[in-house]
Amino acid sequence: MTDVIEVTGLTVRYAGATALDGVDLRVGAGEMVALVGANGAGKSTLVKALSGLLRPAGGTVVVRGRLAQVPEGREMFGDLTVDDNLRLGGWRNGRHGRDTGPVYELFPELAVLRRRRAGSLSGGQQQMVAIGRALMSRPEVLLIDELSLGLAPMVVAMLVAHLRDLHASRGLAVLLIEQNARLALELCERAYVLESGRIAVHGRSADLARDPRVTAAYLGGHVAAP
Amino acid sequence: MSDLVGYVVTGLGIGAGFALVASGLVAIYRVTRVVNFAQGAFAVLAAMFTGTLLTAGLPHGVAELGGVLLGAAAGLIVGVIAIGRPGTSPGTSLIVTLGLGVLAYAIEVLIWGDQPRSYPGVPGVAEVAGARLQAHYLLILAVTGPVFAGLSWFFLRTDLGKALSACASNRYAAQIVGIDVRRMGLIAFGLGGALGGLAGVLTTPVQQVTFDSDVALIVNGFAAAVLGGLTRPVVALAGGLLLGVAQTLVAGYGGGAYQVEVALVLMLTVMIVQSARTPIAVAA
Amino acid sequence: MKAAAGCAAALALPLLLPSRHLATFVLLTLAAAVTVGVSLLMGYAGQVSLGQASFYAIGAYAAGLLAVHGTPPLLGLLLAPVLAAAAAALIGFPLLRLRGHHLAFATLAVQLILLSLLAQASWAGGAIGLQGIPRFSIGGYSLTDDLGYAYLALLVLGIALLVSRNVVSSRAGRGLRAAATSEIAAAASGVPVGGYRLAVFALSAAFAGLAGGVYAFFLGYLAPGSFPVLLSIEYVVMAVVGGLGTIAGPVVGAVLIVVLVQVLNTLGTQPGMPDYAPSVLSYAVYALVLVVCVLYLPKGVVPSVSAALHARRR
Repeated sequence: MTDVIEVTGLTVRYAGATALDGVDLRVGAGEMVALVGANGAGKSTLVKALSGLLRPAGGTVVVRGRLAQVPEGREMFGDLTVDDNLRLGGWRNGRHGRDTGPVYELFPELAVLRRRRAGSLSGGQQQMVAIGRALMSRPEVLLIDELSLGLAPMVVAMLVAHLRDLHASRGLAVLLIEQNARLALELCERAYVLESGRIAVHGRSADLARDPRVTAAYLGGHVAAP
Repeated sequence: MSDLVGYVVTGLGIGAGFALVASGLVAIYRVTRVVNFAQGAFAVLAAMFTGTLLTAGLPHGVAELGGVLLGAAAGLIVGVIAIGRPGTSPGTSLIVTLGLGVLAYAIEVLIWGDQPRSYPGVPGVAEVAGARLQAHYLLILAVTGPVFAGLSWFFLRTDLGKALSACASNRYAAQIVGIDVRRMGLIAFGLGGALGGLAGVLTTPVQQVTFDSDVALIVNGFAAAVLGGLTRPVVALAGGLLLGVAQTLVAGYGGGAYQVEVALVLMLTVMIVQSARTPIAVAA
Repeated sequence: MKAAAGCAAALALPLLLPSRHLATFVLLTLAAAVTVGVSLLMGYAGQVSLGQASFYAIGAYAAGLLAVHGTPPLLGLLLAPVLAAAAAALIGFPLLRLRGHHLAFATLAVQLILLSLLAQASWAGGAIGLQGIPRFSIGGYSLTDDLGYAYLALLVLGIALLVSRNVVSSRAGRGLRAAATSEIAAAASGVPVGGYRLAVFALSAAFAGLAGGVYAFFLGYLAPGSFPVLLSIEYVVMAVVGGLGTIAGPVVGAVLIVVLVQVLNTLGTQPGMPDYAPSVLSYAVYALVLVVCVLYLPKGVVPSVSAALHARRR
């Protein structure tokens, strides 16, 4: 199985301070992988490195195929309509990449809102637009930065259902970056735990959910075994 | 009564020039967050070049188009220098455009000298509701209206226009979806240059142009643009027209004095009122 | 040490210069004094003023008008900075709410208003200008030659530098530097940011006003056209080129620019050169030096050179 994301020994420094220190991470084709970590662990630095927005001090980042980002905070084009937001998502594909039909099929809720200003939507609706916008570029891998942040549990559950669908029907690979470790481990097959710029633990989600180090720090301190 | 109509139509014509300069400022500011001090220079360069082309025997229309294209080219060059280097802050870019505006003086004086220049526009006198005024003012209005309609069509309906609006709305998101934000900034500079050039080309037959006419143009253009927070072209149009009319009214009824002060005091008042509404202004 | 050497050199220079260059020396020194204020404004208070020549004009007209109406020149010269500072405080009170490009345009607007008003004010000579300003004198002693004005200008520059240095190292100076980094944080820790900002604005206007006063006595003639917007831009160029927020920066910037313009001016007035050559060359110099400096030497000459020297010593 080829990897769509292959990060090896990635080191990033900001003005002397090390933000990422020798990070190794892989995402296979069609695989759902979670990256869990607290605030300031280096998650957003990793996102920027994966999107090519910063130059690493060491190591390599290889992305095979197209990576589309669902950014933290959703980053809507707030003054533009939902339809324009989606169409701009297909910018890389040129004139032929602007067919929004498939996204409206996937999120029928958005079809009703297509003429509304994206800035006027609720958080959950905006998250759907952000995911739809990312899908418009017909990516091989979706990088989702903080899916659940600031959203009600009901809304998160609905988004998760959509993501499972997408994954099952299109074989789309997903790298989910989440503060909510419980959600991430539930949704993804494998997971990495990032702590102060290093990968502290990684493995199958089921194993990590039982790992006392993970449960203590990220799942509410519920230690299963002495 | 006919005096009033005359002043208003003349004022609208002059104001249209301000509005075009303002819309160029807005086009650039929205996308790049840079206030382009060289905006008035585009008008001067385009006007002087048009005069040269007319003297060389080119017909009207072609010569004016040549002027506007030179404005666009100048805009592009200013853009490349002002935002071409990655990591240039908007404040730095502003100082760079200030410098390039002064550089334009050197070029203009070198090629065209330091005396006022003009060229004939639409000849004759027109009568509007009993008021007699230079017919050229009507041409200015007849061109400016469709240009603004075209601008809003461009920003709202075309892919390129939407991409420019996307950069204005959210730069980071624009980068994420793969829009080359710097390239869009350069396109905005080119568009701003063309709009500034059009202002100069249109108004020169009724208002002579000197190499340092840019100061009055940029200040009036900024005053018009600032009404819409520097981001709304339609408000800039209204602002420009308002300024033009206010100035001709003051000049007409006030005996020619104090029309400069009117525009400037209006601009200062607007800015101060705006800043009072947003108490913690972020340093730009 | 360095300061003492600089002072000695500055004091010796007027005696060593050929007398035909003394007028340039006077204007250069006055420009440096104004630039000290611009640098203080931009470097410490984070404000771009594109209207600093207004305060130079206010000082010049104040001194000139007072002298023309029989006030002793010394009193006129002393009142020039006071009036300029008062005008700055009055204008600054509403304007200093503005930031960044808004403030830049506002100061530019103030200068345009002032120039337009001066051109219409018959009591100030109108567009033709104010003529017949007597030479500067104290008691019976009248300052007639350029050498005397060279030292008067140096005195003005010295005062501006001294005051500026003391302000920078004072409590207010530290507060302003904090405010330049984060206004909200500085205000939260009790720094009266608005008051300090206004004070620096008025102080920089006082420097310009004092220099303008000397200018009025030196030339004996003032017109609105002597204070174009370009003059304000020149001060910004000098401040940026020399290096904002340094004591020596304004002086170095003014010297570099004026010398460069002067050299090109000499070139431009050679026989065979067209008559527009001097103005084209000086516009080009201001423009290119400013653009190149801002893009490639953003800290200015003085900090960059001293950084390079330190690096070499290591």
